Amino acid sequence: MILSMEQVSIRSGEKKIIDNVPFSIDKGEWFALVGQSGSGKSILSRAIGQLLPKNFQVEGKILLNEEDLCSLSPKQMRTIRGQTLSYIFQDYQGTFTPFRTIGQHLEEYQKVHGNLDTRQRKIKSIEALHSVGLDEAFYSSYPFQLSGGQLQRASIAIALLLSPDLLIADEITTALDSVSGHRILELLAKKQKEIGCTILFITHDWRHVRRYADRIAIMKDGVIVESGGKHRILDHPKHAYTKQLIHATPILGKGLLSGLQEVGKE
Amino acid sequence: MSLLTVKELTKSYQSGKVAVDYLSFTLNKGECLGLVGESGCGKSTLARCLLRIEPINSGSIYFNNEPIESLNGRQLYSYRKKLQIVFQNPLAALNPKLKIKDSLVDPYLEYAKELNLSYFSFTSKAAFVKQLLEAVELPSSLADRYPHEISGGQQQRVTIARAISIEPELIVLDEPTASLDVISQRAVLTLLTELRETLNLSYLFISHDLAAVNQMCQRILVMKEGHLIDEFNRRDLFDNERHAYTKELISIY
Repeated sequence: MILSMEQVSIRSGEKKIIDNVPFSIDKGEWFALVGQSGSGKSILSRAIGQLLPKNFQVEGKILLNEEDLCSLSPKQMRTIRGQTLSYIFQDYQGTFTPFRTIGQHLEEYQKVHGNLDTRQRKIKSIEALHSVGLDEAFYSSYPFQLSGGQLQRASIAIALLLSPDLLIADEITTALDSVSGHRILELLAKKQKEIGCTILFITHDWRHVRRYADRIAIMKDGVIVESGGKHRILDHPKHAYTKQLIHATPILGKGLLSGLQEVGKE
Repeated sequence: MSLLTVKELTKSYQSGKVAVDYLSFTLNKGECLGLVGESGCGKSTLARCLLRIEPINSGSIYFNNEPIESLNGRQLYSYRKKLQIVFQNPLAALNPKLKIKDSLVDPYLEYAKELNLSYFSFTSKAAFVKQLLEAVELPSSLADRYPHEISGGQQQRVTIARAISIEPELIVLDEPTASLDVISQRAVLTLLTELRETLNLSYLFISHDLAAVNQMCQRILVMKEGHLIDEFNRRDLFDNERHAYTKELISIY
């Protein structure tokens, strides 16, 4: 088990945003956290890396590799973020500093985590760009010169640069059109196979869930209403809210949602 | 009967980029025509050309068999009475300084003298706003709010209510649900279909989401890099004759 949450609650002042959430993610799996806007899924994911503003109070235990993240000092957290735990966000424009090149971002990332050899850093950066399908020319490009899909590829390159154990992908395709979004996820799935990292995938799109996820949890108003394997959730949802969510998604074609064959039929 | 006919329409920008390249299609009265394509394929440019917000290079656009590319200011005024648009970002489409009720009656007040409404009726401003909010299933208490005080799904319903308020013949829907989550998206799409039937509207539904288009539309056009590459009836979506690019789009879902 790579990440486990025990009775995690998050409040902002009087308001309880996350209520007593338990879940755990196994090593190497693609875990999808699904919910509507405002259900609290992003807040929960940010609590893992302690990225929340000070006015949010986190209670409970968040264990990453058996280590309670809530008890770590800011300095210890800094070594974990980036190396063991990394993020990709929905807002690809906000991910990058506008006046620094893509190359400078990749460089800084390695420098902070202790790689002090300039030549080696550059080689590794360019390799990382190649591995996500961007050529060397992008090394000296500024973020605004790239399209949304290209920026999101660069985000993947940066997030996976130090081979983290857990990657948190927060609505990474929501701001992209369906074709670019599809290509980004294909790339991410391929990289996951290579590196073997675990992915916490936050989304509201079932079509991505059914294609990539191994296990699914559904969140509503700060509470996990249902969780389980892909086949169980998609084809035999129990909670009314899950059914409503699945029903709301337009899909093409027929058959079981999970794409599996029904037992006893051709 | 054709409501909108586009013939050999070409539009390029000053940078030399050809956004819409020699495009021809027709939209029939009462139908919902889907237009699918990825970002940057020219879908929104096409919408802007139809509204005459953007000048075209060559080709022609006929609305009720009348060419619209040569209309002057006065003629455009009455053309726009028959054509409305709903944009992707509702917050940008609503004036932040106007209350919802003021935004809603704005088109009506603009055209009040020429309009002859059949479904809605203007007795007083408050009653008209109430009718419009009811039509898009919003509580009438929202009338006194400002756009930033209501949710994204509610904002989009307000822009839809505003578009139908003068009972146009055609509404261009440019990615109307792209900024909404699944549940609001479903509700808005169902609402749009109901409104089309009750008010006898026609839609040009622009989206990158083939599944949503397939749910809404009777006919579907596929655009890529400014060209129209495929055109088919909804029931022929899985047909073997589909263009390779259309098949690629299908495989995503």
